[in-house]
Amino acid sequence: MEYAVETFSLTKIFPDWWGREKVCAVDDLNLQVRYNEVFGLLGPNGSGKTTTIKLLLNLLYPTNGKALVLGGDSTEPQISARIGFMPEESYLYRYLNARETLDFYGRLFGLPTKVRKMRIEALLDMVGLKAVANRPVGTFSKGMARRIGLAQALINDPDLLILDEPTTGLDPIGTRQIKDLILELAKRGKTVLLCSHLLADVEDVCDRIAILYGGRIQSEGRVRELLQQTHKTQITAGPLSKNAVEKIKQIVEHEDSDCVVTSPMDKLETFFIKTVASAREQAQPTSGVVSDGTYISDFLTAEHAEKSRRAEILDKLVSTSISPQTPPETPATEKPTPVETYEQEPDEQLLEELTQKPEPPKPKPVVKPQPVESEVARQKQNKKSILDELMDPSAPQNQPTDQADKSPTGGDSNA
Amino acid sequence: MRSIWAVATNTIRQALRMKVAFIFTILLLVLLPVMAFSMPGDGTVKGRLQTFVSYGLSLTSLLLCLLTIVVSVYSLTNDIKQKQIFTVLTKPVHRFQLLLGKLLGVILLDVLLLVLFSAIIYTITIYTPKLLNAGEEELVSLDNEFFTARASLTPPKIDVTQEVLETYNKLKENGQLLPGSSKEDDIYILTLRKELEKRAVPVGRELLWQFQNVKPLDPNQSLFIRFKYDVSVSPPDLNVYGRWVVGDDRQIRYGTEMKTPVYTFDRKDFIRTFHEIEVPADAVAEDNYLAVGFFNPPLNNTVVIFPTEGGLEVLYKADSFTVNFIKAVLLILLRLIFLACLGILAASFLSFPVAILFCLMIFLTATISGFVLESFDALSKGLSGLYSYTVRPVVLLLPQFDKFNPTKFLVPARLLSWPLLAKVAGLMVCVKAVVLLLLALLIFTYREMAKIII
Repeated sequence: MEYAVETFSLTKIFPDWWGREKVCAVDDLNLQVRYNEVFGLLGPNGSGKTTTIKLLLNLLYPTNGKALVLGGDSTEPQISARIGFMPEESYLYRYLNARETLDFYGRLFGLPTKVRKMRIEALLDMVGLKAVANRPVGTFSKGMARRIGLAQALINDPDLLILDEPTTGLDPIGTRQIKDLILELAKRGKTVLLCSHLLADVEDVCDRIAILYGGRIQSEGRVRELLQQTHKTQITAGPLSKNAVEKIKQIVEHEDSDCVVTSPMDKLETFFIKTVASAREQAQPTSGVVSDGTYISDFLTAEHAEKSRRAEILDKLVSTSISPQTPPETPATEKPTPVETYEQEPDEQLLEELTQKPEPPKPKPVVKPQPVESEVARQKQNKKSILDELMDPSAPQNQPTDQADKSPTGGDSNA
Repeated sequence: MRSIWAVATNTIRQALRMKVAFIFTILLLVLLPVMAFSMPGDGTVKGRLQTFVSYGLSLTSLLLCLLTIVVSVYSLTNDIKQKQIFTVLTKPVHRFQLLLGKLLGVILLDVLLLVLFSAIIYTITIYTPKLLNAGEEELVSLDNEFFTARASLTPPKIDVTQEVLETYNKLKENGQLLPGSSKEDDIYILTLRKELEKRAVPVGRELLWQFQNVKPLDPNQSLFIRFKYDVSVSPPDLNVYGRWVVGDDRQIRYGTEMKTPVYTFDRKDFIRTFHEIEVPADAVAEDNYLAVGFFNPPLNNTVVIFPTEGGLEVLYKADSFTVNFIKAVLLILLRLIFLACLGILAASFLSFPVAILFCLMIFLTATISGFVLESFDALSKGLSGLYSYTVRPVVLLLPQFDKFNPTKFLVPARLLSWPLLAKVAGLMVCVKAVVLLLLALLIFTYREMAKIII
């Protein structure tokens, strides 16, 4: 039971109609995913990522070899009860609404009614679909359906989460949220196996990656190790005078090395999120009559209002014990102020959350964006309880959470 | 079990929300009342009711059969095509649980709709006589001939093989056989002739039928002799005279004390149509014995023949109309269960259009199974070995919907007995449907859900 996922010479050959071997999608694959790590399966289109996942889940049967998931066969109910799977597209029953969808999947796990109801509400909250919970899923946009897809994968508080292209179809904010969520779950002791060809996503969240090509692993290892340029050094500092820069250059030259001085650039993702957030803030005074009126903007607004409760909800979903007290009310509801302020309050907070990340330009080798973690941690200090209600009470995975809570973080003051 | 139930409720929801069931329901809700008041039948209240019950139940049965096929096939093939099955099977759900869930869902939907529609048909049937202000006489006739469930006893077929053989040998000895005809043909003709003899009554002669196990529900009620005359020479007014004696003939024969009455009827009846003689049920002897005698008076001047089909039957009330109606509805339900299993089987390895076609073909074949079996038998006389070991078992695996048609029982107010119902249930559901379901489970378990065919 050393590995959460382990494959032994896993091979899948698709025959053609006549039974002749046609396509070798997975070729002698030996994959090991350790417990409590985020593992990324990368590769160009048609490299066998999705096939591997389908083999792990017994949606396809291997031509050769064997796959162990959580130490057993994924068809065994006690194993599959601990797996959460989000397929490459959200395959949902179009006639069910969001709440019924989650209820259906919850019932497949045989979750007791009370637990099910609680988890459904918390998950809807988390993915920001509470406002549209009674709309048929068939009318959802791709991104919204994706969120439901994610929620259904989390309904059983899985130990192993298998995500196939988790961020396709999501806007940058949704992408950021999913990435945050993956990191958060990993911190709580979950194992995540994700496959993607969006390298930025993988780079941000994964501990280890394997690059597939032609159904074989071409390269495998820790992201940090694979990407680190050991022959270079990056120094990040606040604004410096020309004089100081010159001095540094001299020192570097003294060390017999070259040096280029530039101002760090924001990532486009960061810029996008910043722009959307500030645009939204400007729209606030007219929020009574939302001018653009498109559904998506409503959706985003509703969602960011929930954002401040994200960690709280996560607490509810993933752990059960830490603090039994009832979750503190959100700042939004505490204030008896008119609607405008209601919306503004979380908005500022969101802005804060969103913008602080990029401020300290990320040093290249750092894999996990620090501010993200610190942000979640900060939120949790206020409301860590809801998430705790749901999780396994005895699980040691709560420890990291505690640590994260206590760790002093500088991210807050930046904004 | 919980996951089976979850799948089942989801299937029902699917059928209802995708409006498949909705369309069928609306169709029936509109058609049934319209039918009730637009089909006068033969003009009498009884005729109207018979027509309504017959058409109403047949239509309900047909539409529900189609619905069952569509829903069971659609539900599974759609899950596979739209890949929702990926998210379902990766949950702690066994494949057999998914199939059973789908099946349960379809059957529950059927039960729901069947109860609804049969309740409508039943209510309309019960209230029609009141609405039409049927007369006293008509009400009595309805009670006796429609709102009842009558058991039917037919005279046992007499085995004539021995007699035929003797006759044949005699003819052969005397050299009276037709030259050039084979033994089989001769025997066949002789058998027909002998059987006809047993059912024919020459002038001045009588014919006696003896029935055991006559068990009327209530001795104060009537039993009915239902008969049809055939004649060798049609009388000028197409009517036949006859004296009927009904009762325990052993009392007369052995001169014992009369315990039960013996009734005599002198009648004049139209030929080649069904007639019923009402006889008080106390004519039946204590040991459930009843004899029926027919005397062909010289007045007729023709041989009277009772045809094989419905020539003579003893009918008596054995159950109420309500119970019989419920049994008839159960018969429809059995049919639907079979079709649901068939749909699941087809969907387990075929795509939607092909599966639908496959099911409809089987459904139609089952609806005319009598004809199909007969034609196969007739067509394949030459290749009997090949046929009886290949095609015939497959054909026999089909259910026989036409043989157990519920209207065949309700229209003539015939008792649909529990043993018969149990037999149909055993054969159609416990054997045939289960075989289909097991086959479906087998295929589905070994099928690769995400299979890509290049």
